Amino acid sequence: MTVLSGTWPKMTGSDEFRFLSELVLTRSSADHTIISLRDHHAGTTRFANNQVIQNVDVRRGSLAVTVAFGGRHGTASTTDFTAGAIQDTLARAEQIARISPVDPEYLPPPDPCTFPVRETASPETMAAGPAKRLEYANEAIGHCRMENIMAAGVVSSSATAVGIAADTGLFGYERRTDARFSLTVQAGDATGWSAAAHRSIDHLKVQERTLVAIAKSKRGRDAYELPAGRYSVILEPAAVAGLWAWLIRSLDAKSYMKKTSPFADKLGQAIVDKRLTLRNAPDHADLLGEAFTHEGLPSTDSVWIDQGILKQLAYDRFTAKAGGVNTIPTLEAPVLSIEGASAHSIQDLIKSTERGILVTNFWYIRPVNSRDLMLTGMTRDGTFLVEKGEIVSAVKNFRFHESPLLAFQRLSAWTTPMEAVNSETAKMLVPAMALPQFHFSSVTRF
Amino acid sequence: MSTPAWDEFAELALKRIAKSGAEYGDIRIQDSSTEQIEGEDRRIASVRDVKDIGFGVRVLYHGAWGFAASSILSLEEVPRVADLAVEIAKGSASVALEKVRLASEPVHRDRVVTPCRIDPFSVPLEKKTDLVLNTMDVLQRQSGVARSSASLWARRDKTLFVSSEGSRLEFDLLAGQGECTATALYEGRFASRSFSTPYLRKGYELIEEADFSREASRVADQALEKVKAPAVDAGQYDLVLDPEHLSLTIHESCGHPSELDRALGYEANYAGTSFLTTETRGNFRYGSRQVNLIADNTEAETLAATGYDDDGVACQRWDIVRHGIFVGYCTSRETAPKIGESRSCGSNRADGWGNIPIVRIANIGLEPGEATRDQLIADVKRGIYIEGHGSYSIDQRRYNFQFGGDAFWLIENGRRTHMLRDVIYHGITPEFWSSCDGVADRSFRRRYGFITCGKGQPGQSGWMTHAAAPARFRRIQVIRGEGDS
Repeated sequence: MTVLSGTWPKMTGSDEFRFLSELVLTRSSADHTIISLRDHHAGTTRFANNQVIQNVDVRRGSLAVTVAFGGRHGTASTTDFTAGAIQDTLARAEQIARISPVDPEYLPPPDPCTFPVRETASPETMAAGPAKRLEYANEAIGHCRMENIMAAGVVSSSATAVGIAADTGLFGYERRTDARFSLTVQAGDATGWSAAAHRSIDHLKVQERTLVAIAKSKRGRDAYELPAGRYSVILEPAAVAGLWAWLIRSLDAKSYMKKTSPFADKLGQAIVDKRLTLRNAPDHADLLGEAFTHEGLPSTDSVWIDQGILKQLAYDRFTAKAGGVNTIPTLEAPVLSIEGASAHSIQDLIKSTERGILVTNFWYIRPVNSRDLMLTGMTRDGTFLVEKGEIVSAVKNFRFHESPLLAFQRLSAWTTPMEAVNSETAKMLVPAMALPQFHFSSVTRF
Repeated sequence: MSTPAWDEFAELALKRIAKSGAEYGDIRIQDSSTEQIEGEDRRIASVRDVKDIGFGVRVLYHGAWGFAASSILSLEEVPRVADLAVEIAKGSASVALEKVRLASEPVHRDRVVTPCRIDPFSVPLEKKTDLVLNTMDVLQRQSGVARSSASLWARRDKTLFVSSEGSRLEFDLLAGQGECTATALYEGRFASRSFSTPYLRKGYELIEEADFSREASRVADQALEKVKAPAVDAGQYDLVLDPEHLSLTIHESCGHPSELDRALGYEANYAGTSFLTTETRGNFRYGSRQVNLIADNTEAETLAATGYDDDGVACQRWDIVRHGIFVGYCTSRETAPKIGESRSCGSNRADGWGNIPIVRIANIGLEPGEATRDQLIADVKRGIYIEGHGSYSIDQRRYNFQFGGDAFWLIENGRRTHMLRDVIYHGITPEFWSSCDGVADRSFRRRYGFITCGKGQPGQSGWMTHAAAPARFRRIQVIRGEGDS
């Protein structure tokens, strides 16, 4: 092994960010000034057909300056941290702000506050480099080679210094790490998939997830075609997360106030099964909680859906102020839980199913209708027919046509929340769920 | 253009690569400026001026790739990053099964500049914010329009590409776009209608040539008409699709499956593979004889017409589908030899200095036919005319797709009548294109492009233009895009 195993070059520290911020603040002639830092060091080892096809390492630092004169504001950013470039960035932001129209929704930066201290940076991910990523990639590839099947996937790790400072005295700085593994195993025409994301690269469970993907691909052979229609389904956590991600994205408060939201007039009303609760848990060790948002607001525990009832919306600061909302909740670490006795595992859900479709994951989920949150998407990488408590066959992939606001009105069974992530959703903890009458609108050819 | 220091950095990186014994290396140094003005509900919500400078070094060592990049352009950082790219490539080589072999390409030394009449970055900001505000005013003048948005976008990329083979390419490329949207409310429903200029490599004349006031008035009226329109009845319809709508259909159902890296399995873990597997080239019936899909990265003003791709390969024009038969892929220097091609067609692109190039969809367009648009419609007994982009989704091998649109009109007995809402159509790609029985002539050809085509891990945004004239498709399954469908 010849690959460098050292850590990345030194990232911008808290004191350095404070120095850069002061450089901007002391030179700013604006009424208000905000400085945002993102110094991102990342690497990805990508493999396909059982070999590495892409192996990259990138450092990108960026500094954004937003200034305001009265209600006129402007933002400029740079990736160049030299003093001259930062002064130029401030000048550009000031130039924009001076000639921009007054924004009636402009608010000065938040007042300073004490942000929570969270374990957002894992030392092992900070220390991981190309060698560690290659080691994990080789582990996945090795298992697949032994089975004479093809592996495609990624191992990635990153460390990011994030900071926010303002003339109000607001100051926040945090280091965040992120490690990801995902694997698609191809056994002839069949595919199996598994994925993980964690602050710690040591928690990716590469071997365990590789074996899951291999098992799915082997079971996926000789898929046969079932007609489109309504079926009982068992949605694995990634599939559940895919649907909930769109529900969460649609919680925008301004759209709610303007009546262009699927939730119009539903705040305080039941929107899903009354046993479902959605909350933000930024301190959970398996989630990607953060101390503060890009606006400089603290991230906190909050309940968004409480026993099926919509309790919270996603506010920008202006809409919150207009609506008399004092504390703006965040939802970067979602946990979806269900009240009542749960199954121990997905296998238990399968055992209790008379006839249904087991869905590993959904792909390309998009809204069909924003009024009722009707979504479409495809099943992917492991779709199986379950009969009398057993997987009896792989089936060709379906397109679904469902609204989570309807689908999650009717839960048959569920597990406790489990880690879930896929290529289109942020990480969440959600249960696997059995749902009746899920609408598959068409079938594809594989 | 590039500064003398950039050449010094390039020379420094390439010397390190040569010393390592690597068979190939290149460096891309890029200075990108983006201006984004966004208006929402009659206010300027944000004006952003983004400067993004950095460099990426790509190394091929013993048939395996390494890539490293940094936003610190300095005499200390360039050799560090070059060495890191070499070391990463050595790591990749240590586990390589099949060595990468690059298709040959002549050495190019050239300078490519986007011709432009009005530099968008020289246009006073007040003029641009006035346009955005005035557009939203026009949108909300229509009673029933509850929300409005408008935006302008411009980007300049100054790039220096230098390879160990001797190519030296300088780029000063521009692109721009503007759009607006009205959202109307009626009896508890809401519906939006949009106007967008194409994304094109033109100066601010692109914006000035579009009559935003007229277009805003039109889409405001149509947003209200749309929200009040009857929902479509599910069933089979003939569809006549306008060029803007077709740009997305072409992108998803022809563009992506014709990317050779997908066919070879490189994207199996994310964007997916392709039903156009390598053995289908030259013999698979993709569509009817009327369907000719041409990749043309040489057409002026289009997004992928950059002179050269990020492999340093000159832009070209080639067939993807000829008389309905699939005949060609979008390729890179790495992938082209895997299907016996001696030269890449020049479709390997990165979305900036911080990413390694990957195979990207070219400017794939539908060749015009001989009909007029009215003739296409006149021969439809029961159909729907669709404009613009709406909901879209397609499986990972690009067979099963589903599209909505931005505006829909019922066609009855050869006449376009009233608007419909909630139209969704779905199909299987080769069956759909085989149902195409007419394309309008060149006078109806329009170009639309994308700058947010997602692919790759880490994710990258691809840029390309898709041109088309309206086309007719027979007996397509339509469903209603709401809860009781």
